[in-house]
Amino acid sequence: MPTNDKDFKAKLGALPIAHQRHVGALFVQRVLPFSSDVRLKAALELALRADASDAELTGAYQAANTARVESYTRCGSVCDWADQAGHFVAKAVMACVSPAAEGESLAWEAAMSARMARTCQTVADGSGTENREAEEQYRILEAFLNN
Amino acid sequence: MSASLEKGVRVLKEMIDAPIASYFNSCVHCGLCAEACLFYTETGDPKYTPIHKLEPLRRIYEQEYTLLGRLKKVLGLSKPVTDAELGEWQELVYNSCTLCGRCSLVCPVGNDIVYMVRKFREGMAISGHAPEGIVEATRRTVSTGSPMGVTMHAVKAQMKHVEEETGISIPLDVEGAEYMVLLSSMEIINFPEYLSAIARIMKHAGKTWTLCSTGFEATNSGIQIGVSDLAKTIVSRIVEGAERLKAKTVISPECGHAYTALRWEGPNLIGRPFTFKVQHILEVLDELRSQGLLKTEGFETDRLTFHDPCQLARRGGVIQPQRNLINMVAQNFVEMPDAGKMNWCCGGGGGVTAIEPAEALRIEAFKKKKSQLEAVKPDRLVTACAVCRTTLEEGLEHYQMNIPVVGLTEIIAEHLPEQGA
Repeated sequence: MPTNDKDFKAKLGALPIAHQRHVGALFVQRVLPFSSDVRLKAALELALRADASDAELTGAYQAANTARVESYTRCGSVCDWADQAGHFVAKAVMACVSPAAEGESLAWEAAMSARMARTCQTVADGSGTENREAEEQYRILEAFLNN
Repeated sequence: MSASLEKGVRVLKEMIDAPIASYFNSCVHCGLCAEACLFYTETGDPKYTPIHKLEPLRRIYEQEYTLLGRLKKVLGLSKPVTDAELGEWQELVYNSCTLCGRCSLVCPVGNDIVYMVRKFREGMAISGHAPEGIVEATRRTVSTGSPMGVTMHAVKAQMKHVEEETGISIPLDVEGAEYMVLLSSMEIINFPEYLSAIARIMKHAGKTWTLCSTGFEATNSGIQIGVSDLAKTIVSRIVEGAERLKAKTVISPECGHAYTALRWEGPNLIGRPFTFKVQHILEVLDELRSQGLLKTEGFETDRLTFHDPCQLARRGGVIQPQRNLINMVAQNFVEMPDAGKMNWCCGGGGGVTAIEPAEALRIEAFKKKKSQLEAVKPDRLVTACAVCRTTLEEGLEHYQMNIPVVGLTEIIAEHLPEQGA
């Protein structure tokens, strides 16, 4: 099991793109409840499907991007950190369905945005800055690699 | 006359200084400022002519400070400024003005129309005619230090996230560091990648830096709403923090108006010179580049263009550093028409994004940026202001233009040699 992010990133980067989508989606599943946007739920389900077509992925990517842009906290507006968690969920889902070339770190990007979603949620509920999202992601990757 | 109107008109009278008097007298009604304003060019509505946006202020000037105007006022021949009129003018002074400064730049007699709008906003705020969104942002700035309610707790949460991601410790309140780095609320909330990029670049360049717990926020909503006392308070927090930590240079983040507020207006607001230097992050990066301390590897091969934030390029004079930096990492960089000091605003600056009723007009005005982008058809759009970034993304989304928007500091960080990152 990875014990640090350098090792974690290297292992994710070594995965083929389809596996990156899948494991990235597993990371995002943990934070998906922070968003009520149905477009994200549908896009994430697609990322978990091995037979998703390029056209389906493109459509899901556009839908997730729209959700991400719509959920920005605008300059001058008060930040609702729970809503902002939803913004990073959208960003994480986008990574999972992005039409990236082989070799790009989709899963790493999904992992980082999922962590930001968790961080926002901890700010929202006042539970401090500590969370175990990184360790949970290490565990998910390890389980994925062992299957 | 209501008490608030009376106070507002009194403030407006006080705001009319020698430059404003000379500007009103110098205006030759040529209309060039109209053609320079995206709210006019994209709607064709003459009410958006920049100098017209100042009409109540001009009438107060005429009625109070000119012989003919005073005579007309005594004889009851002039039209007094009313509450209803100022209410009507809110749309013109706030919703349809991003303080971008294009009108000031093209004025053939040198009238600084932005300066006049800023002064007009002071009276509008005092008479109760500032938009609710900006008023709320200002209240939050007073109570929390941030117009978006960002507290040090949230900054620490982001610091922890970035430390995990990069493996680099984020320094806080370190005395004697060369650079004190400011963040905008927008970056703390929406763009953690900016802090991550700073951490990697500073490590790569071997520079000492720190965040400041009592002065982390660069955003100055006092400038946007037009309340000098508040603008001074916000600048003072940064100055006190920088002096306490003995920082040599304070780095303004990827936020346009934060830069002008601190660098160009800051010393005037606090009434003395700073004991430290203020630079925009792009100026710092370009300086590191020229000193051989910033080295990158590899190139972006897709077609990139750059959106110059108005406050940085036109009002701030920072135009070449961003181009030097992009050329370090881009093989296919193309300039939009009117790039640099004449660039068209994204439509979201000057507090406009905080004004909900301004949204439809802002989207309409975005057609100017759309036409600039259509002229060069980029694969990605690079910029250096968090507000521009979200405004551009919203406009692109609305017009269904598939052009990702990225921050320049992040792109530079992505091209650092692996061992330095």
